Amino acid sequence: MAALVEILRPGFILRDALVGSVLVGTVCPLVGVYFVLRRMIFLGVALPQLSAAGIAFAFVAYRLIVGPHEHGNVSERSLAIVGAFAFTLGGILVLAAMERRGRETVEARIGVTYAVAAALTILFLAVDPHGDAQMVNLLKGDILATTSASLGVLASVLGAVVVVLFAFRKEFLLVSFDRDLAVVFRKRVGVWDLLLYLAIGITISLGVMTAGPLVTFGFLVVPPLTARLLTRRMLSFSLAAAGIGGLTAFVGFYCAYRFDLPLGPAEVAVASVVLALVTAATMVGRWRTGARLAP
Amino acid sequence: MPKALVRLDDVSLGYEAGAVLQHLRFTVEEGEFLALLGPNGAGKTTLLRGLLGLLPVLEGHIEYCFDRAATPPGYVPQRETLDPIFPLSALEVVLMGTYARLPPLRPVGRRERALAAHCLAQAGLEAVAGQPFWALSGGQKQRVLIARALASEPRLLLLDEPTAGVDPGAAAAIMDVLSRLNREQGLTIVLVTHQLRLVRPVVGAVIWVDGGTAIKGPTAEMLAPERIMDVFGALATG
Repeated sequence: MAALVEILRPGFILRDALVGSVLVGTVCPLVGVYFVLRRMIFLGVALPQLSAAGIAFAFVAYRLIVGPHEHGNVSERSLAIVGAFAFTLGGILVLAAMERRGRETVEARIGVTYAVAAALTILFLAVDPHGDAQMVNLLKGDILATTSASLGVLASVLGAVVVVLFAFRKEFLLVSFDRDLAVVFRKRVGVWDLLLYLAIGITISLGVMTAGPLVTFGFLVVPPLTARLLTRRMLSFSLAAAGIGGLTAFVGFYCAYRFDLPLGPAEVAVASVVLALVTAATMVGRWRTGARLAP
Repeated sequence: MPKALVRLDDVSLGYEAGAVLQHLRFTVEEGEFLALLGPNGAGKTTLLRGLLGLLPVLEGHIEYCFDRAATPPGYVPQRETLDPIFPLSALEVVLMGTYARLPPLRPVGRRERALAAHCLAQAGLEAVAGQPFWALSGGQKQRVLIARALASEPRLLLLDEPTAGVDPGAAAAIMDVLSRLNREQGLTIVLVTHQLRLVRPVVGAVIWVDGGTAIKGPTAEMLAPERIMDVFGALATG
């Protein structure tokens, strides 16, 4: 209880990290809703890894073109964001274009993307002699290093993503649920897809930068899967996913602080426990009432 | 004199690999109830998708005698094409039809909700408005999709096998809804089907799709027993 009171104090030393955690935990599921509904869950593994490769590439490119970079300053973070975003958005656009052509299986494309991204991340780090522990931390997502300035950027950008997701939710829903109908209605399907991918790309890039690929993937997928079991409407699905994500991120932070655990894994573990409990409760409930399970 | 709604002038439709249908020349007239019939794989769905603008016209020209941007056709896809993973109620699915006239940033309002509820009632499904779409029976899903198409307030309604895979009672209910819409509201309807017996009493004309092209004629002539024997007998004997 004392630990809970402490982390809720305004002057809590890790307040920025806590707020950053909850922000990532809240916004990633809002994007993840579309991963689940479009059956692109495994893309949630590949894209954060691609984002990490982008960060590593940005540093290598900077060193080759400009010269050695300094660790821990704002320009290093900006560089990382540019690299992460370019790789994530590029990857998602290429994968989407390949999906339209449909020559290979989805699993093959995503598997190859993940393997290539993971290999590139390590290779880029090996090429850059300045790729020391601090950079590795940046790749893994060092949420405890969140500062007021980086939190401000995170809140502004993720806030904009949330506004876009809610403002255009009927367009995103239509192109996701029935693409043909959107074409018949003469909606700009490509533009809406691109805008959605942009929102996904920005969220994943910032998520990886802030909390790392593991937490980003976990929160893209686990809270929406939990919310899917509890809701019957699109809006309540999105809101429940965001709520569960934010809450489990907070509880995960508390557990990590209270029991001195690594933060990211603790957050994902809490979210997964909630998913397991809700799944079990839903199955028992359905078994008792004889109702059908949602697909 | 009936007014033309859609006119096909020597149209070819198909895919990257080549044309599936060629030399299509017919007119869909306002207030008509048309069935697109033909053997499996003949190109019925290709023709429907061409009429909807989902396939590019390879040759020729399709003239729409109405503003397709302002009044898009109502489209009822095969229900299996829609993923049941989406947590949508029947009413939410119908509301999607109203998106046709809603620009970006304009939310669904009272008018759209009332229209969607009215369309659901027209399909005889007001009682299931709040139920999850995925939990409905095949016939109910199909009628929800018809209500969704009506919610776009179309002049032309195009349906892809609306009675496929549903029990005879549900199929009859679907045909009843469609023939009422045609008779009472003058809605022009084109539907793809395999079920000759079901559509024969209600459609005024048939577009017969076979041999890489399609021809249109009155139901009695196009569904004459000797013609049916010609096509299906030949297919049966291989």
